[in-house]
Amino acid sequence: MNPRKLSRRKLLKTTACGFGSLAMAGLCSRGGVATGSTTLLQRSPMFVPRAKRVIFIFMAGGPSHVDTYDYKPELIRNHDRDYDFTGVRFGTFGKKSKRKLMKPLWGFKQYGQCSQHVSDLFPYTAQMVDDLCFIKSMQTEGVAHGPSTLFMHTGATNLMRPSMGSWVTYGLGTENQNLPGFVVLQPSASKGGPRNYSSAFLPAIHQGTAIGKAGQPADEATLRNAVNASLSRAEQKRNFRFLQRLNRTQLGNRRQDDQLDAVVESYELAWRMQMNAPQLFDLSGEPKFVRERYGIGSKATDEFGKQCLMGRRLAEAGVRFIQLNYADESATPRWDQHSNMPKHMDHARATDKPVAGLLADLKERGLLEETLVWWSGEFGRTPFSQNGSGRDHNPRGFTTWLAGAGVRPGFSYGSTDEIGDTAVVNPVHMHDLHATILHILGMDHERLTYRHAGLDVRLTGVAGEVVHGILS
Amino acid sequence: MGNVLIRFAAISLLIVGLSSARAAEKFGFFEKEIRPLFHEHCYKCHSAEAEKLKGGLLLDSRQGWATGGDSGPAIVPGDVEGSLLLRAVSYEDDDLQMPPKYKLADHERTALAKWVETGAPDPRVSQVVGKGMGIDLANGREFWSFRPVAHHAVPKMNPALGQEENLDAIDWFILARLARENVKPVGLAKPETLLRRLYFDLIGLPPTPEQIDDFLADPSPEAYARLVDRLLGSPQFGETWGRHWLDVARFAESSGGGRSLMFKDAWRFRDYVISAFNEDKPFNQFIREQIAGDLLPAASREQRNEQLIAAGFLALGPHNYELQDKELLRMEVVDEQIVTIGRAFLGMTLGCVRCHEHKFDPIPMDDYYALAGILRSTQSLVPGNVSGWVAHDLLLEPALKKAIDKHAAKTKEANVALKAAKKELLEVEAIQGGEGIVVDNLQAEKVGDWMKSTSNKTFFGDNYIHDKGEGKGQKKVIFTAELPEAGEYEVRFGYTAGANRAQKAPVTIGHTNGPTTILINQREKPPINNNFKVLGRFQFSSGKAVVSISNDHTSDVVIADAVVFVPIAELKKDSDLEQRLAKLRGEVDRLVKRVDALKKTKPTDLPKAMSVQDEKETGDWHVHIRGEIRNKGAIVPRGFLQVASKAKTVAQPTIAAGRSGRLELAEWVASGGNPLTSRVMVNRIWHHLLGHGLVRTPDNFGKTGELPSHAGLLDWLAWRFVDDSWSVKSMIRQIVLSRAYRRASTGESAGQTDDPENRLLWRSNRKHLSAEAIRDSILSVSGQLDMQQGGPTIRKFSQYDLGYEFDTIRRSVYVPFFRNSMLEVLEVFNAANPNVTTGRRTETTLPTQALYMLNSPFMNAEARRAGGRLARVDTTDTLRVRMAYRLVLGREPRADEAGLALEFLGQTDTGDWTALLHSLFACVDFRTLD
Repeated sequence: MNPRKLSRRKLLKTTACGFGSLAMAGLCSRGGVATGSTTLLQRSPMFVPRAKRVIFIFMAGGPSHVDTYDYKPELIRNHDRDYDFTGVRFGTFGKKSKRKLMKPLWGFKQYGQCSQHVSDLFPYTAQMVDDLCFIKSMQTEGVAHGPSTLFMHTGATNLMRPSMGSWVTYGLGTENQNLPGFVVLQPSASKGGPRNYSSAFLPAIHQGTAIGKAGQPADEATLRNAVNASLSRAEQKRNFRFLQRLNRTQLGNRRQDDQLDAVVESYELAWRMQMNAPQLFDLSGEPKFVRERYGIGSKATDEFGKQCLMGRRLAEAGVRFIQLNYADESATPRWDQHSNMPKHMDHARATDKPVAGLLADLKERGLLEETLVWWSGEFGRTPFSQNGSGRDHNPRGFTTWLAGAGVRPGFSYGSTDEIGDTAVVNPVHMHDLHATILHILGMDHERLTYRHAGLDVRLTGVAGEVVHGILS
Repeated sequence: MGNVLIRFAAISLLIVGLSSARAAEKFGFFEKEIRPLFHEHCYKCHSAEAEKLKGGLLLDSRQGWATGGDSGPAIVPGDVEGSLLLRAVSYEDDDLQMPPKYKLADHERTALAKWVETGAPDPRVSQVVGKGMGIDLANGREFWSFRPVAHHAVPKMNPALGQEENLDAIDWFILARLARENVKPVGLAKPETLLRRLYFDLIGLPPTPEQIDDFLADPSPEAYARLVDRLLGSPQFGETWGRHWLDVARFAESSGGGRSLMFKDAWRFRDYVISAFNEDKPFNQFIREQIAGDLLPAASREQRNEQLIAAGFLALGPHNYELQDKELLRMEVVDEQIVTIGRAFLGMTLGCVRCHEHKFDPIPMDDYYALAGILRSTQSLVPGNVSGWVAHDLLLEPALKKAIDKHAAKTKEANVALKAAKKELLEVEAIQGGEGIVVDNLQAEKVGDWMKSTSNKTFFGDNYIHDKGEGKGQKKVIFTAELPEAGEYEVRFGYTAGANRAQKAPVTIGHTNGPTTILINQREKPPINNNFKVLGRFQFSSGKAVVSISNDHTSDVVIADAVVFVPIAELKKDSDLEQRLAKLRGEVDRLVKRVDALKKTKPTDLPKAMSVQDEKETGDWHVHIRGEIRNKGAIVPRGFLQVASKAKTVAQPTIAAGRSGRLELAEWVASGGNPLTSRVMVNRIWHHLLGHGLVRTPDNFGKTGELPSHAGLLDWLAWRFVDDSWSVKSMIRQIVLSRAYRRASTGESAGQTDDPENRLLWRSNRKHLSAEAIRDSILSVSGQLDMQQGGPTIRKFSQYDLGYEFDTIRRSVYVPFFRNSMLEVLEVFNAANPNVTTGRRTETTLPTQALYMLNSPFMNAEARRAGGRLARVDTTDTLRVRMAYRLVLGREPRADEAGLALEFLGQTDTGDWTALLHSLFACVDFRTLD
């Protein structure tokens, strides 16, 4: 018997609670693995990483780039004029039709030393432009919400593929063994739902752990089953001790076996998680000035402010991939203004201060130096109007921004055409952005693979090029 | 292509004969204009130096562009129109644009065109570049899984390996191998261990204490065999083994994807599968029905229905029905069907062949598109913005059909009468408080573009109109009434309310004392019958009276429906009207009740099945180059995998005109001559019983899969399976009676060190209890489990599956199974991911599972119920502990366990049986099947 097993065995027999770093090893399925891991143990990146972790702020529904960050004087000048567009939807696919251009509904001003344009929708984020790295030439796949949302998360519109966060923990593991490595705050069950944070065929340990759900108050969002509603703390402790004694008795009556030891270990880890996680999601201990900075306590910003603050706490605690969701459960997701663009104001109001607060807080704590923040919708919106004062989906050109570790601050990359319809200068496909984010984390998207159904599958399919132009 | 080569050869010959001066003249243009252009814009991806060659196309030599890449020759000298490269740089084709990120300058494109027109002279000669090695089918057929199933002789030998006698074929194969490797098997499992194993393996439930006693009283081989037969005959057998097949069939009751649409009729497929296993339907027939049930002849109405439901196999996949590129969606569905058929029946990974020939298995792209031709000739989708699926009406029993028809006719009649009565009532209600003069929007004058609508159902007359929220300040509707006499009138304006409506829609009344404009909030419901809002009382002279609405200073949608002028006198004398209203209301009331009553007496919904059917247009299909749907290559004849067919004539059958070829495909898959099908299925059975397949990758029998540990045994079983009319029950019986199945999962043997993975089967494999078995056995111990069989189980049917609240206590196989929301216990303990064929479930041990066991409401509640049941039994604590162990773990507590339990109970005030049961449900031995 090898000594490692022996000592582990000994530990199992003698300790009640307290496995420490041994815990996650061997907790997962066995199976063919190419370059990543079946465990969450921390792994070295392939090359020197620029960032340790990611906070992804998902703006569901598709915020309009021409009303927010992509300033287009020609669009304003040509307001109400007819323009030829090629349809991408069912019934209009490939057909040209005349649509009326619509100028942005909000004014733009220049901010910061970098003089980036930001519309009046985002006065708080505007104060942070010198920390942002805009990509104004994004392109993606799919035209409807479901396919495009899945594509943004998994690199595929229809195939079952692992989420980006799963790829990241598969490649890097996590820094905190008492918490999951990939945490998704309040995700929506629609538009792909759990598939957006699923590990698909990667080992299940890389599955995103959902905390709460869209539509539920942020205060109720916590790790599932971390709290026992029926038993007192004392009863829980008493029962847990008994269970582990029972388990050890049963193990003692058997031949030594890693797989069975793993069950006992999983209870130890669960116990530690249940001790740690609820506190992590409890924001009541945060000082007032911090809560206010995120807009917590003000009606419009309270909910998303809480998510953003949890995001920071998770980053601080060493979670590898954190996703915040500004999302709901309706058929037309939040930023999806097909007939009523003025409603963008509500969503901007709900998210602007919290996001700016998160950036500023991360920066002050030095976390922004090692954290990559990514803000994006699944696509942008058309420069032409729809149903009067709305805009349709636009996957051909839109804006996203990154901030923090690894990217050039106060910078803007690529551009759309003069009216903001199609990315024309340095287009960045979503596959390219995925490749770039992996690169920033120290991984080569062509080498981060998993053998599934006879294929070495990647996040980027058979495409993707690192956008070196945005790297710091 | 041939033509190109000839031309190309001719040019080469010319070049060879040129003097250098003439060469300079000939190639001058190329050197000056074309070479730099290629260098600057193309070489990065299309040259030998390219970091990554794209599309297989080289532009750094004549041969490169003449042979071309994946899409064929890039340049046809002299033919500007026919040269792909020129089409690509023109940027006219949305799917073929080069360079990919920008368009060449006009002068550059002109130069290229000129060069091609003059014959594309190009001095660059290089070694010919090959395009892949191609696939050697003859050699490929030598791989073990493509060889015909051989009838191996049972390797009988002197049973000197131990005291084991009466060995059957399975054991002979295994023992022979063990003897060769010099590993001794362990002995048989203890009866109580074997019993728990057998119960869970065959019916997914634990044995009751009485069943344990019965078996322990007589654990003889004969009694064991009788028990096996009894369990195989139990209806719970199909529920357990049907679930295994549902994993393979990636069964779910919703579509997944963006909007995860519920599949209302998918439960019929689930029930079909469960019945098929219970009835021991021959597996080859089971295959035929699932691939081509809709095309099979049927002897009876029941058989016809069953077969239609079975073909739902092809329709139940995960799809993004909202995908807007419908051509892409169609190919995605075809692809999903090919992938599923490949994995489920053949153990082949075919998805990768959509874009390039298989990198490991001898499967060329032609084979994939031969199958695609069959499935493209099959209709799976119904067109729409969000596409639909094909639903077949099921055939009804004649008497039931008659009853349904009769009932439908009555319902229709009642509905028509109700509609008419409601309409009349609305009309009368509109003039409630007095007959008025009505001007509907149809009679009004419209200025600007107004759109008719009936979306909001509360309108008056035939419809209402709206300004589309556009052309603000430019639109108006003018209602003009002819008033019989002068006097005071109450003016009412009609609109339909809604959230997108204008809040300050200006309505102007032209009355004797000057016009008055009133702003109305069209988001608020009009108070009179949801139709009309009173604007006020005004004086009018006789003759024309005008009320108009405009969309001035509005940003949202403005609605106009009708205007009514009611003379004040009318408002006072309304007793007649009251009577009429009362009568009409009574009539509507009566009809509503009648419709409701009819709904309640409805015999049944007209039953439908999700299925497929042959397309109207059938035929062979193109190869899609690199899998791109609009990049079409050569047409390939419909057919099957060549490497798994003895000869080309088998792989490419004649398919009659107008037929998809699906029936032929079904026959090919279900044939005993197919080297994959029977091997794959017996391996699946083996996997579920022994914990690992003889091939440990049950969905992959290709080169990237594992090799069989006992190839001879696998073939013997496959041969036997086919010979025994593809009977699944016989195969299971054969296996569970073997010693291999009955061995202990642990024990002293050289295998401990020589074969720790147990490839040689010197012991039995320990298994994880499945998610379903965990839930079902907990519910059975707590006394909650509802054993009802079959039928629809989605309680609250809605369009999407999100947020579905699971509230059933039926067996887990009947719990609604969705793609975007799953019952937590099933999700946490690795129920199959219904998006892909799952022959082997993921086995994990995760802290999230531990948290579920410790804290979930389900565990707390069921532990309380089970604990309560036990506490109520009138006996001693010691005996109760014994009962608890027998109920949950199917065995007696060992002395140390009993001591521990009693000690724990002693610590609690009242003897906390709930906590004891909870811990037993959570313990290692419960979650493990030895």
